[in-house]
Amino acid sequence: MKKMRNTLYVFALVVLTGCSGRYVGLPSEQVLRYQTTPTYGNLYTLATAYAQTINNALRADTLHPGMYADYGVALALLGHEKEACYMLNTEMAAFPESKGTVERIKKKLLPVMQYNDYVPPRDTIDMQQLSAWALVPNEAARFIPNAASIIDSTDTARIRQQNPVDSIQMPIKLTANQKREKLAYEQAEAERQKQARIDSIADVKKAQAAEKKKAKAQRKEAAKAKEKAKKEADKEKIRIAEEREKKREEEKQQRAAQQNEAKKQRAAEQEAQKKQREAERELQKQQRAAEQEALKKQREAERELQKQQRAAEQEAQKKQREAERELQKQQRAAEQEALRQQREAEKAAAVDSTQTNQQ
Amino acid sequence: MKSRVLFTIMTAGILLLSCKSETKLTQYSAIYQEQPATIYIAPLNDFAMRHIMREMDDSLYNNSVSTAAMQLYLTAAAPLTVNGYYVPGPLVSAQIAASETRTGKQLRSDNINDYYTDLGIDAILFIDLVGWTQTTNAWTVEVEYILRSTHSNSELMNVHVNATKHLITDYKGNPQPLPEDIDFAEKFGCDLETAQRCRLVETLNNFVLKDLPTGKRARQHKTERYISSHPEFFYLRIKKDGSVEMLNNPEL
Repeated sequence: MKKMRNTLYVFALVVLTGCSGRYVGLPSEQVLRYQTTPTYGNLYTLATAYAQTINNALRADTLHPGMYADYGVALALLGHEKEACYMLNTEMAAFPESKGTVERIKKKLLPVMQYNDYVPPRDTIDMQQLSAWALVPNEAARFIPNAASIIDSTDTARIRQQNPVDSIQMPIKLTANQKREKLAYEQAEAERQKQARIDSIADVKKAQAAEKKKAKAQRKEAAKAKEKAKKEADKEKIRIAEEREKKREEEKQQRAAQQNEAKKQRAAEQEAQKKQREAERELQKQQRAAEQEALKKQREAERELQKQQRAAEQEAQKKQREAERELQKQQRAAEQEALRQQREAEKAAAVDSTQTNQQ
Repeated sequence: MKSRVLFTIMTAGILLLSCKSETKLTQYSAIYQEQPATIYIAPLNDFAMRHIMREMDDSLYNNSVSTAAMQLYLTAAAPLTVNGYYVPGPLVSAQIAASETRTGKQLRSDNINDYYTDLGIDAILFIDLVGWTQTTNAWTVEVEYILRSTHSNSELMNVHVNATKHLITDYKGNPQPLPEDIDFAEKFGCDLETAQRCRLVETLNNFVLKDLPTGKRARQHKTERYISSHPEFFYLRIKKDGSVEMLNNPEL
């Protein structure tokens, strides 16, 4: 069941990776060959390879940016100015980012802009008509077909027909001698590898056995060393514990002595503080007594003053009252005199009247 | 049981935290800010050429190293293109470089605004091949990648990598090529040593430049911001089976 699942996963992975679009890159062999040895023949081979790669890329629907421009440059260097112009224009149309670069290159390589409206023939360009055809070196001539196709971007249908360029192949033909040498070399190599494998297996077995022995001895030594180290560590632990105990005792004693001293000091300080407080209290008491005495005297003097004032007031009131009484007495005496005189006058009148009456 | 679960969670948490690296948003913040669309790869600055100038007779080594340097330059475009940037091809780049009067050193420090105004290029990628070292069973190459903006003249990326490719040796200790190396040598018509060097630099380019944030053309543009990124300096180990391993310390 597990195996089935695993195979299914692998199958799915393979299918998915297969679906993810094929990337058609630069014709790397030809580019490298031209860059390392920039000859006219290599340039021609590169141009042909570009044409083929562009065709393949269009079929696979994945176009490498810059491919048209590179092909255009190659064509321009080969003397195909019309086709170069067309290719550079196609690059600009397909990849607008390239406009600045390609226009600059176009100005440099094709100073006269007279091919802007040129569209190449539908299928092929006859490469035999190249003006510089005669310059192609002999060794490059075997890579060049009779007619190299130029890509046709106007045709949108997927063309699957055989292209003349597709048929270009560069088989590595070996001579009979080379074949024999190669075969002999391969056989010798196979034997050498076989012997090496056998040797290496024996060596490995020996090495493994030696390593095992070594490892065993090392393990024993390590165990002994471990036990020794354990005993030493135990002894060390006990010694350290005793030392710690001693230290703790000493520290305890020191702490007790320190505490006693601190207690004594604290008691002395408290005594001194008490005495100081008492002296302060005495002083305060004396001050308070003196203040009270002064207050008493002041109050007594005030009372005396008040008494004298009151006595003076009473005297004055007495005198006033006596004067009033005198006045009242005099008034009353005057009133009584007047009344008496009145009564005497009345009596005299009454006597007169009676006398008259009697008469 | 509870304590066990707690212990597992704690350990997992510690492991996850210790594995945490910088996200692409923090590592390449300048690229996210400027969002370059077109990247021009400047001609390679090959310090290994000094050795070639000293040892003119050792043509086998010299050819091998110079071919690998060319391969390093040529294969830098592919990962950038896959990431959604527009990269001028090698022939167009050669035309641009031919019309440049400044030296590589000047381009790294001078004002390069004219690349934007004249050519519409947003950033320039400088690749420094610092040198090659070789032991009996390993090739090591040291490369520095610098991405400079043509808008602000600032460095958008600076990555220094020390990549080592381990080789299988036979019983005598001689390095043995992998089948892929043999295929490469047959395909490109070069010797096995050159093939091994070329494959090493190609793997290195793919590993370093594919880590860059995706460009405007890519569907994944800005969606990978919180994915962890490579550090600015690291060691790369290509194992015998072809798998790639990134290390902060080569002794690990």
